[in-house]
Amino acid sequence: MEIVFAAVICSLIALISKKLSFPTIPLYITAGLVLGEWGVIIQSEIAEFLSKVGVISLLFYIGLHINPEEILRKRRIIFSAGLFDLIVNFPLIFFVSLALGFSYSQAFILSSALYVSSSAIVLQSLIENRKLIYKEAETIVWLMVFEDIVIALLIILNDLDFTSIVIFLAKLSVFTLLAVYLSKKIKGIEGIFMRDDEVPVLFSFSIALLSIAFEEFFDIPLAYASIMLGLILSGIKRVREMITPFKEVFLAIFFFFFGSSAEITLKGLESLVIILISIIGKILSGILTGFKIHRSFSSGIEIGLSTIARGEFSAFLVYTYGDSNVISIVMLAIIFTSILGAFLAKYSERIVQLLQYTSRML
Amino acid sequence: MYVEMNGIGTKYELETESGEKIAIIFLMNRKIQLYIQEKCKKLCSAELTESEAKRLSSILGGAPIEREKESVEVDFLGIPELTVAMHTYRVGKNLAGKSIEELAIREKTGVTVIAVSRRGKTIISPPPHFTFEDDDTLVVIGSKDQIKLFEEKILGK
Repeated sequence: MEIVFAAVICSLIALISKKLSFPTIPLYITAGLVLGEWGVIIQSEIAEFLSKVGVISLLFYIGLHINPEEILRKRRIIFSAGLFDLIVNFPLIFFVSLALGFSYSQAFILSSALYVSSSAIVLQSLIENRKLIYKEAETIVWLMVFEDIVIALLIILNDLDFTSIVIFLAKLSVFTLLAVYLSKKIKGIEGIFMRDDEVPVLFSFSIALLSIAFEEFFDIPLAYASIMLGLILSGIKRVREMITPFKEVFLAIFFFFFGSSAEITLKGLESLVIILISIIGKILSGILTGFKIHRSFSSGIEIGLSTIARGEFSAFLVYTYGDSNVISIVMLAIIFTSILGAFLAKYSERIVQLLQYTSRML
Repeated sequence: MYVEMNGIGTKYELETESGEKIAIIFLMNRKIQLYIQEKCKKLCSAELTESEAKRLSSILGGAPIEREKESVEVDFLGIPELTVAMHTYRVGKNLAGKSIEELAIREKTGVTVIAVSRRGKTIISPPPHFTFEDDDTLVVIGSKDQIKLFEEKILGK
């Protein structure tokens, strides 16, 4: 019954938030959180499995956007767009978390989860706020691609089992090389995905679900397997269309149950500090990226403000690897930064103008 | 010149001689965003559906359907060298009572009679033994040259 409940509530939330052009992610989570607190929603095995399907389709979808050949061709621009984002935000959150008294592993999960912006919110707001003509929009898109690649690495790092590290890494390397190899050969079966019947949808969905089998039989992390399976099919654009409906439905359910899974233990100061540096870090890295690529401060502010929102990846990383303490902080950070980020992205042009105006006055 | 924007769509950009910018982005949800930016001025944009974008493109492309008085010429997108012309004619006394076969329209000119309108009724693909009557309107299809030949040899213009 809780699934029906979750699906209906998420549908209503989606309807309302699209009307107000407000991001859906924080609302799904908040709804789950509130209903979980009231005891209306109880975690069940089915809910857990559907959430898992949500995570798989999200990461599979990410993989679909990591086309090895395309990335290799554009490695320069991708690298320079994403570099500052990584070297500012990740260490900043890591060391501040340590200073706040978190353990090394907690700090690592916090910085992994909060380094990554929400592609869903960021890209959607570029479209909705009609910013696609600007050069900064392209930089932001490449920055997201860079983050996607780093996510794959973060999954590996968070999954490292030091007792069998050699076998683990060997297995991953073989798997990764195989995926890259297959991605080049995949055009041969493109026909399967171009048909008008139900075959393409079925194939896309079942290939994504194969990640469960890879985890079961080869101990390859589910999340990593999902990304790599997506990567194999990255040359076939149609698969993206096929998997999107699954992603929309199951990810909404994932957010909802993610919200209900944690009790918010209000550690006021720690949460506040972490949220603050998550915001400041992105503005800082945005400014540096803007300087590097566009030689302009206002481009940097635009990039910074546009990438503040955290969302799906933060939720998935902390849900998979975090303890309840870390989960509640990241959850608050997602709710807060996604709402603020959507708002700031909308008014970024005015903010830039205001900054230019004040700097001229000074 | 186009840029693949991962997760968004495909962006085409154009800068005019006067330095104004136009960008068209084909979004993944099949909508199309059109941006126009005057030099150093505020941005204008519109979001179009597929059919609206097609209408706009046919206007900008100089209209693929070229209207003459009684004929249309159709260019097919993607095959620039293929132009098909259709023309309508009113049957005069000189053709009345003769059939398509008798006139050997196809053999002599290469055009095909695809439809005849007779007293408000339409006959699509008339058979070879079809006989014209005074005041029929016929629609022929062929290349521009073939239609010219048809006018000379059959209609005797």
